[in-house]
Amino acid sequence: MRQSHGSRARRFSAPRIPSPDSRTLSMLAYYLQLGLRSLRRNPALTTLMVMAIGFGVAASMITWSVFRAVSGNPIPGKSAQLFTPQVDGWGPQQNLKGEPAEALGYVDAMALLRAHQAKRQTLLYPLRLSVIPQGSRELPLNADGYAVTADFFAMFEVPFRYGGGWSAQDDEARGSEVVISSKLNQKLFGGADSVGRTIGLGGHDFRIVGVVSHWNPRPRFYDLFSTSGFADEPDIYMVFNRALDLQMRTGGRNSCRGSISYTSWQGYLQSNCVWVTPWVELDSPADVARYHRFLENYAADQQRAGRFGWAANVRLRDVMQWLDYEHVVPPESRIALVVALGFFLICLVNTIGLLLAKFMRRAGEIGVRRALGATRREIYTQYLVEAGTVGLAGGVLGLLFTALGVSGVGILFQPEIARLARLDLSLVGLTFVVAILATVAAAFYPAWRAAHVQPAWQLKSS
Amino acid sequence: MHIQIRPILAALRRHKAGTLLIALQIALTLAIVCNALFIIHQRLANLSAASGVDEANVFVIANMWADLDRSTEQVDAQVRADLLALRQLPAVRNATPASGYPLRGGGWDNFVTMTPEQVKPTTDAAVYTGDEHFLDTLGLKLVAGRNFRPDEVMVMGTQQAITPPTAIVSQALADRLFPDGNALGKSFYAMGTAPSTIVGIVDPLHRQGVDQWSNGYAGQALIWPLRADDERGIYYIVRAKPGQLADAMREAPKALYAQNRLRIIDPVDGIQDYATIRHKVYDRDRGMAILMSVISVVLLAITAAGIVGLTSFWVGQRRKQIGVRRALGARQRDILAYFLTENFLISATGVVLGAVLAVAFNLWTVTRFEMSHMSMAYVGIGVVALLLLGQGAVLAPALRASRVSPVEATRSV
Amino acid sequence: MLKMTHLSKVYRTEVVETYALRDFNIDVKEGEFVAVTGPSGSGKTTFLTIAGLLETFSGGEYHLDGIEVSNLNDNARSKIRNEKIGFIFQAFNLIPDLNVFDNIEVPLRYRGMKAAERKQRIMDSLERVGLASRAKHYPAELSGGQQQRVAIARALAGSPRLLLADEPTGNLDTQMARGVMELLEDIHREGATIVMVTHDPELAARAQRNVHIIDGQVVDLSEDPRFHTVHVAEEAHG
Repeated sequence: MRQSHGSRARRFSAPRIPSPDSRTLSMLAYYLQLGLRSLRRNPALTTLMVMAIGFGVAASMITWSVFRAVSGNPIPGKSAQLFTPQVDGWGPQQNLKGEPAEALGYVDAMALLRAHQAKRQTLLYPLRLSVIPQGSRELPLNADGYAVTADFFAMFEVPFRYGGGWSAQDDEARGSEVVISSKLNQKLFGGADSVGRTIGLGGHDFRIVGVVSHWNPRPRFYDLFSTSGFADEPDIYMVFNRALDLQMRTGGRNSCRGSISYTSWQGYLQSNCVWVTPWVELDSPADVARYHRFLENYAADQQRAGRFGWAANVRLRDVMQWLDYEHVVPPESRIALVVALGFFLICLVNTIGLLLAKFMRRAGEIGVRRALGATRREIYTQYLVEAGTVGLAGGVLGLLFTALGVSGVGILFQPEIARLARLDLSLVGLTFVVAILATVAAAFYPAWRAAHVQPAWQLKSS
Repeated sequence: MHIQIRPILAALRRHKAGTLLIALQIALTLAIVCNALFIIHQRLANLSAASGVDEANVFVIANMWADLDRSTEQVDAQVRADLLALRQLPAVRNATPASGYPLRGGGWDNFVTMTPEQVKPTTDAAVYTGDEHFLDTLGLKLVAGRNFRPDEVMVMGTQQAITPPTAIVSQALADRLFPDGNALGKSFYAMGTAPSTIVGIVDPLHRQGVDQWSNGYAGQALIWPLRADDERGIYYIVRAKPGQLADAMREAPKALYAQNRLRIIDPVDGIQDYATIRHKVYDRDRGMAILMSVISVVLLAITAAGIVGLTSFWVGQRRKQIGVRRALGARQRDILAYFLTENFLISATGVVLGAVLAVAFNLWTVTRFEMSHMSMAYVGIGVVALLLLGQGAVLAPALRASRVSPVEATRSV
Repeated sequence: MLKMTHLSKVYRTEVVETYALRDFNIDVKEGEFVAVTGPSGSGKTTFLTIAGLLETFSGGEYHLDGIEVSNLNDNARSKIRNEKIGFIFQAFNLIPDLNVFDNIEVPLRYRGMKAAERKQRIMDSLERVGLASRAKHYPAELSGGQQQRVAIARALAGSPRLLLADEPTGNLDTQMARGVMELLEDIHREGATIVMVTHDPELAARAQRNVHIIDGQVVDLSEDPRFHTVHVAEEAHG
């Protein structure tokens, strides 16, 4: 019987049927037209749905743009090869609930540097300096920067506009080489190649060997001890040993235990105060394991020598582990994102309900369309397309709110973090995709219900 | 008025999806709004924390030295000259050197112990340094003891750690160290080998920082009579005469540059009044409070609108049924009561689920973000608010339903 | 054209089984104009919804245009409705959001016709029912009779082989009803097969053949003298 039906059906089919593709397109255009018409029919309901989607998607996108900025990988190519060693110099009674301090004191830092157990290693601490413009009557400028060792630039892939870093020999020679930022170079030298020129920092002369082109990885993984991770680009990088020779105290955090009684620079260096952040570059898991053993051996040696009164307690975290451990993502950003997503979810539940009401109110029309030959799939598609137009309108509104929100995000987050949130092309795209997909997903059930309207029940004359 | 629950439940069973959606929306809204209210309340409490400072008249100058190659004596001479110049300004009441100031957003803090041998600290105190003008300059209220004498003020260079023998502490620190209340004249150790004796108590005095870790040490601070002549820089805290803040803030940097040009006072944030300082240090709290408020308001509005929308649809769908009821003698208020009761049943289900979700969400933030436990009062307020919201939202469509004419019973759909 | 043999339709609830149609037999030939009459609740509307493939049936066979339809899935049934059947309802069932043109376009859209052909057919069928000037009007702007003409135009636009009408004049006053009836007769004369459900014996008398349903079963009235009397009287009247 079925076979006979097949051959007969072919005989009865309409003579001129366009190709399926153009038919599909034409039907989609038809549904779109019906959808827009339907949206105009119930302006209040439509406005409500569009507003809900718009608000929901915008809240999510604004908080997402901030979260994305603060939770990103600042050095994607190398984050798994860069490690910051920690050695517990405070002991179980004074350390951070069992965790070693987040930085090293001078003694341990220098010991790790001199042991040279990694492919590359650097020590760093922040500096607050003054720049005295030469031969001018201008007031001195403030310049922030870091005391670092030669490997810093290669390890962290610092890009240079002019010149480059300095050598290990310069480290040994405790030289007065400095690298400056493009911004400072612009201020002092009008952006010209200043390599070889002299710069006065805090009353001492330094020789510029390199100018960094814009480099400010955020979060600033390499200095989470002194910064929250979102500071402005540093102006200056100075030879670590030279900064020590000039007895430059850290411009960042300094954390001590017990009683502090030093009265001189040497006394400070030998104290248990931590203020130096060490970094090492390790290429393979084997290297990592070897370095970890080295750290444990070092701590054990200190215990044997009587400097540590406790068993070795060391850590070796890579960049992402370090960001996580230091809670770089502000809890506010996470909570805001979660709450915004919850908000969006509620907006979608709201939309499901309203779409259901809107679609089922047209049960009669659906019955007529079914009687006139629409398949369930055609009804389903029609209503999904209608929901898609709601999503699109919601996306437009959401984009508007997002743009407003991102520009006003400074009200909601700290300025240094708010600055990172920006409305780029990917966020615009994401806003639309999320708005449309979410709305269409919300319409699955209402459209399914619409497609399963019983035509006969709707059409019986009573 | 007699309301029958059973027919309502029967009707709801036939509108499972809509009922479920409204209940779910109310539940989620309750969960979010409770927690948002809790966060808002907490953050607003932070925003209004007292600093102890005469905020209307005090401002802070962040002064950096350009020439780092000077001895402590040279720096100290400069500091004393600067202070003299500041205090002589007509708009200025007083000035003090300082290593930090309340609400700075972080700074120097020391562990405090009762004996030098004690390893586990008793508490942690924010450390302020200043001369005998510190109390008057900040406008701190001395509640016991005395101010520093000029001869007690010591000088501390960059590479030194000095413990002065006297200190003024905040009431909160005094209470923490000496719960019996007789702190005056007693000594403590703050990471020094020598003790400091409490000569005065001020109340209140906020710490420099507002970070979460310091919440357990709120208001615990000590002041040492020190001019911390750090070669890198120093803060000058200045108190203007009443109403002359703007004049003082304008004149102060001129006076300092007149003393010596080799210094840096950042043109953007080198001089800040307390309004700015407070605004900056609480930007996280304010931001969260604003964000949560906006989300709560919009959320409640959307939920209310959603209830209006769905109920209107139901009313439209049941016009004939309502007409039949009216024809059979139901009064307008019976119809009204029907829809109000229906909404109440749905909302009640929603708020029960929502209360569970709200507590669960709070517990999650407690474990994940070290936030504190939410008082059930917030859930209570939220439940009442959402039930009222539901009843309010359903009122308009229910009134419309109550006005359906009995004639509708005879019309075809 | 339309042949039902031993067809039954049972509505089941938890407590009772109700037979809407029982051992139902009917055979409508191509080109016939059949009126189905019967009292309220006799099953005539159920018959029509099954005939129009709007509902499935419980037992028996139904051949439509030679096809046994009981095994067809929903898609195939939709396709047959679209291509072979035209519906005319008592309540017109025009889509209020769409104007006359767009209403008539609905079945043609689902057939995937090109725009030019759609337009041609819509205008032809509007011409046919005498409403060519009302293409841009919305249903609410038309009288009941005009609305039913639009519904007929919509049913005709797809050139169906079978027209199913459910009390087509039930919602119309006498004058409008007469106009609609004359239109149906014209359409029949042009060769369409029409099955019309009505409880109005006067209307039924204008059909070629009457089928009477009582309690879900066909009762043959061709032998009933009363029927002939009415029939003759009606002819005389017309």
